[in-house]
Parts: sequence; structure tokens; C-alpha cells
Amino acid sequence: MHSQAVGPKILAFVGEKWASIFLLILVVVFSMVGKNFFAVKNFSNILYFATTYALLAVGETFVIVTGGIDLSVGFVMGFVGVTASIVMRDMLAAGNSQTVCMIVGTLVGLAAGVLPGLINGYLVARLRVPPFIATLGMYGVANGLALNLSQGFPIYFLPPRVQEIGNSFVAYLLPGRAFTFFERPPNLQPGDLRNLIGIIPGTVLVVAVILLLSMFLLKRTRFGQHTYAIGGSKDAAIRSGINVPRHLMWIYVLSSVFASFAGIIYVFRIGLGNFTTFSSSYELFAIAGVVIGGASLMGGRGTLGGAIIGVLILNTLENGLNIVGIPAFYRYIATGLILIAAVVIDQFTPERRSAGA
Amino acid sequence: MPETVLAARRRSGTALWMGRNWALLFLVLEVAAFILLGTNFYSLENLQNIFVACLPMLMLGMGQTFVIITGGIDLSVGFVMGFGAVICAKFMVILQAAGLPPSASIPLAALICIAIGVIPGLVNGTLVARLKVPPFLATFGMYGIAYGVSELVSENTPISGLPAEAGLIGNEYIFYVIPRKLFSFLVRPENASPADLRVMLSIIPTIVVIAFIFVIVFAFILRRTRFGQHNYAIGGNVDAAVRSGINVPRHLTWVYIISAFFASLSGILYALKYVTGRADAGSARMLDSVVAVVIGGASLYGGTGNVKGTIIGALIIATLETGMVNLGVPSHNRYIAIGLILVIAVLIDQFFPELVGKGE
Repeated sequence: MHSQAVGPKILAFVGEKWASIFLLILVVVFSMVGKNFFAVKNFSNILYFATTYALLAVGETFVIVTGGIDLSVGFVMGFVGVTASIVMRDMLAAGNSQTVCMIVGTLVGLAAGVLPGLINGYLVARLRVPPFIATLGMYGVANGLALNLSQGFPIYFLPPRVQEIGNSFVAYLLPGRAFTFFERPPNLQPGDLRNLIGIIPGTVLVVAVILLLSMFLLKRTRFGQHTYAIGGSKDAAIRSGINVPRHLMWIYVLSSVFASFAGIIYVFRIGLGNFTTFSSSYELFAIAGVVIGGASLMGGRGTLGGAIIGVLILNTLENGLNIVGIPAFYRYIATGLILIAAVVIDQFTPERRSAGA
Repeated sequence: MPETVLAARRRSGTALWMGRNWALLFLVLEVAAFILLGTNFYSLENLQNIFVACLPMLMLGMGQTFVIITGGIDLSVGFVMGFGAVICAKFMVILQAAGLPPSASIPLAALICIAIGVIPGLVNGTLVARLKVPPFLATFGMYGIAYGVSELVSENTPISGLPAEAGLIGNEYIFYVIPRKLFSFLVRPENASPADLRVMLSIIPTIVVIAFIFVIVFAFILRRTRFGQHNYAIGGNVDAAVRSGINVPRHLTWVYIISAFFASLSGILYALKYVTGRADAGSARMLDSVVAVVIGGASLYGGTGNVKGTIIGALIIATLETGMVNLGVPSHNRYIAIGLILVIAVLIDQFFPELVGKGE
């Protein structure tokens, strides 16, 4: 009797926590197989590259919890990156100081990034266009705008400080000699550069702060409660007095804003502005992360913690495959397979299914 | 009350017709606008170019029509098209290296491509129909898988070294006419003088004919066969379809296979036309295919949609593309226009529900 009760419990536990377990297994396997995988430098590398998907996935989580979908995030990200870097480039060329260029460029980019969200939100919330269609339309429009602004070329000649800031670390350690915050230790010899250890990339810190704020927003505020309520049952939400159209507007604006953050951080990391290509498929990876993290496309279920684990799985996989020497394209295949596996596992784990109902 | 309603109906007869056929009217207006604004837009050559340009949208849209009518969606079509193009090109190269003449290697490669290309559809269908994975996620997974596999097969470079005859099929015409001199069927006249070549008319591109044969066959299947009836029945109401004895899982599996079949076919046409195979051959076309079907009057909730509408939708996009090139507008503006048209199409359906008669 006893063992019979334990068996399903273990299964249910595995079913519920499979994403975390899978992430752990990935790390263990790559640590054993890959050279230099298990190292501070590499882990900070994984986080560094995970920031883009993490931001997109956060916005997507809000949308998916309400039962919607936002397909436009990848191209909104490219549109914002291009807009911000054009402003920075032109202002620098006009003779402004680097700091002014960066601040104005970032602000203009973020402001431009609110627009797609407003339009998506208006279409979905007020005009009742299915979210899939509204954001697929924006997917085309944002892509066209980004290509139009950039004329199909990357945007160079940004202030050099942009890339410096984007690739700085929270702390630097020169073993046995120096430990500094935010700035590199002074008086570095050429030989020291190789020994210099950067601890936590600055962009990761920024994204972590954004992440914590949005977790608070989704978990602890009335806004978050309403988000789950709308996803659970729109009718019930309306009857309990929630202004559903206004709330949905905000949700799509939020998604666009997070995509804009991703676009700005991309510019700071790479040091140039780039439009999004079709095959980079950011929206696939963002949505996959959210779904792997346990969200349901039917709405009402999903957490930011889960989404982050999902994103980390995808980025660990990318990094690990790279280190083991497997061609990069396997990552698309692996992502597709994990995405489908996540949904199938979800389908066959009754506890999780009932939790959403 | 009934009299006023009837009167209103009668009065709005023309308006209703226009509303129902707004896509066709839009196409006519679009063509008229480009004829007025462009140079040489109104010509046989350009008309044929539009039909060639509409093929990817039309092929992917045909499969998408079947899927959307059942209330599903296939996001993988663009990359399955790339997969088809890569497989077809790869096998043409392999079979040619094995010593087969082009007359054997090209059709054989096409057949192999179809055989392999329907596998993604089989997987999509099984996931959706048997394992109850939402179509959006199942085909989104396949979107990644198909792209990854085709990049692997093509080793991240366009496949080259295809038999030259492939390009002949992809770029030849059914008839060649030199007025008052020569009428040639399928064969481009040799030894024609430069003066003759200048006045020569090339009529009906071969790949358009190949494509439309399949379009007509599947339009017939959708409209006149039991399979087509079941398709609408499932999209209208799954429960009712199950109760009336339709084997829904089996039917849905076939629907996703049809979608992958058309995507592979589009890949083959790409390989024939451009004499290469690329993993990203159709990456921009997923959006187009959904837009074509939705412009054509299908509802994403299932139960409505038809082939005629999809053809018009594909032609609207192709005309836009060709017209923009003609006017010298940078081609990436097409994405903006197509995104807008998609949203407008849905809004029209949203605000005039009486236009989507079939769904009720």
C-alpha cells in the first residue's frame, strides 16, 4: 500500500519539477563531457547571453498568463535597437558628448518601443483581434520598420563607451593583487589582462533587477492578481469588476517594453544596432522558455521563475553544445524537441493540469 | 420587425456583396493603382511575374487553408519549405553524381523530397491529433526542428551543383510565340535572330502550371469530397464531428501531412527556379501564408475558408511585392504593408460578422 502511494507522488513531483531537474542534468552532463564548462567564467557567459531571452520571456509570461501570445517581441527588439543606435550615431556625429548620446538614444528607443505594445494592446483589448493575428501583423510591421530605418545594414559608429559599458562587470578580481567594483583595477600591465576575472556582467545585474521587480509585480500586486484572474476566466474577471480591456492594454505594452529593454541591452552588448533576421527566431526561444517553465497557452498559469528556468535550459544547451563542439543548428532542433516534450509532459501530468483549472 | 429587417437586407444587397468580396475588389484596386502609378506594370510579362511571385504564398497557403479550416495553425510551413528545398537540391546533386541523367534525377529527387518532406507533417499531425498538443506549440516546435535539420543537411551554405536542366524547368514557359513566324510548345526556339527574340512572347511559366495542377486537385478535394466536408465539420464543431462518426485524429493527421506536402512542393519549385537549396528559403513565408488565408476570408476559429479566397490572398501579396519593385520602393516595406493588411482583414471580419456567413 505504502509504496503504491509513493510511486505516483514521485511521478507527480518529477512531472512538476522536471524543468529544474532537466536543467540540473544538463549542467552535470556538460560538466562531465565538456572541457571548461564548469567554470565561473563560463557560467557568467551563459547568464550574459541569457539576458536577451530572459527579458523577452518575462514580457511573454505576462501575455501568456492572460491567455494571449505576443509574436512580435523579436522584431520589436530589433526595431528598438535600430532606432536607439541611429539616434546615438547621429547625435555623436553632431558633436554631442558620449553620455548624452547614450542617454537620449536609450530613452528614444524605449519610447519608440512603447508604440508597438500600445497598438497590439488596442487591437487585442478594444478591437478584439485575436492576439495571434494582432501581434503577427506587428511582427511584419516592426520588421519592415527596422529594415527601413537601417536600410538592411548594421548601424556602426556608435559612441565607443556603449560597448565598454555593455561589457563591463560588477566586480573585477586580479588574483592576489586587486579587487575593484565597476571599474577595472588601475595600472594594469598587458600581461594582467589574461588573469583578470570579471565577476557578474553588468548587463546581468541590470536584468536581474528588472526580473525581481517584475516578479514582485506578477506575484505580489493587484496587477499580478488581475493578470492571473483574466487568464483563468475572462468572464469571471469582468464580473468581479476588473477593467479587462485596460489591463490587457498594459500587458501588451509591458511585453513591448521588455522587448525594448532587450533591444537596448543588445546594442550595449554588441556595440552596434542590428535588425532582427527571420531565422534568429527570438519569439520561438522566448515562448519555448515560458512554456518549458510550466505556463499554459490557455492562460491562467505560469510563473516568471519557471520562465527563467526555461530560458536557462535553452541557453545552457546552446553553450554546452558549443563547448562540446556540436554544430549550432542542433540548438534549433533541441529547442523544438524540448518545447514539444514540455507540452506532452504537461498533458500527462494530471496534477498540473488540474492546478490550472 | 421582419419587414424592416428584410428591407434592410435588400437595400444592403450590393454593400453585402462588396463586403463579402472585399478581397477581390482590393486586388482589382491594387492592380489598377499600380498600373496608373508604375511603368509597364500592365504587360503580359508582368502579369506572369505576379503569378510566379505568388507561388510560395499560394503553395504554403493551400496547406494552411486545410489546417486553418480545422481550427488549427501550422507555423512550421516556412521552414518545412526550406527543408524541402534543401532535400530536393541535395538529392539532385547526389543522384547526378551517381550518374543518372537529368531526366531521371530531377523527378526522382522531387519524389524523394515529397516522401521525406511529409514527415514533419506526420509528426505535427500525430502531436496535434493523438497527443493533444495545441497546434500552435506542436508546429512551433517543428519550426525549430525543421530549420535546424535543414541547416545541418545543407551545412549552412546554399547547395550548389544542381543539374542545369533544373533551372530550365524552373524558368521556362509552356508556349513561345514569335508573331507571324513561329509557335513553339515547351521548347525555347533555337537560332532565333536577336530581332525575333525581342518580339518573342513567352506564355505561361511552367512552374505556375505545375503548381496550379495541385491547387485545382486539392480545391476539388476540399469542395467536393467527403474529406473536404469532414474538414469543415471538424472546424465547425469538433464534438459534433466526433459524434457523427468522423475519425477526427486520423483526419487531422492527414491535414497536417497535406500542409507539409505543399510546403515541400514549394521547396521543390524554389529549387527548380533558383537552382539551389537554402534552409531559409521560406523563412519569411510563414507570415505570408497565414495572411493569404486570412485575407481570403478564413477564420482562425475554424470552419470557414476556401481555396478561391487563398488564391486571391496570395495574388494580393504578390501584386504588392511586384508593384513595389516596379515603383522602386525598397522591398522591405512589404512587411509593413502585409502586417497592416492582415490586421485590416481581421478587423473587417470582426466588425461585419454577417459577411462570414458560413461560420454560423
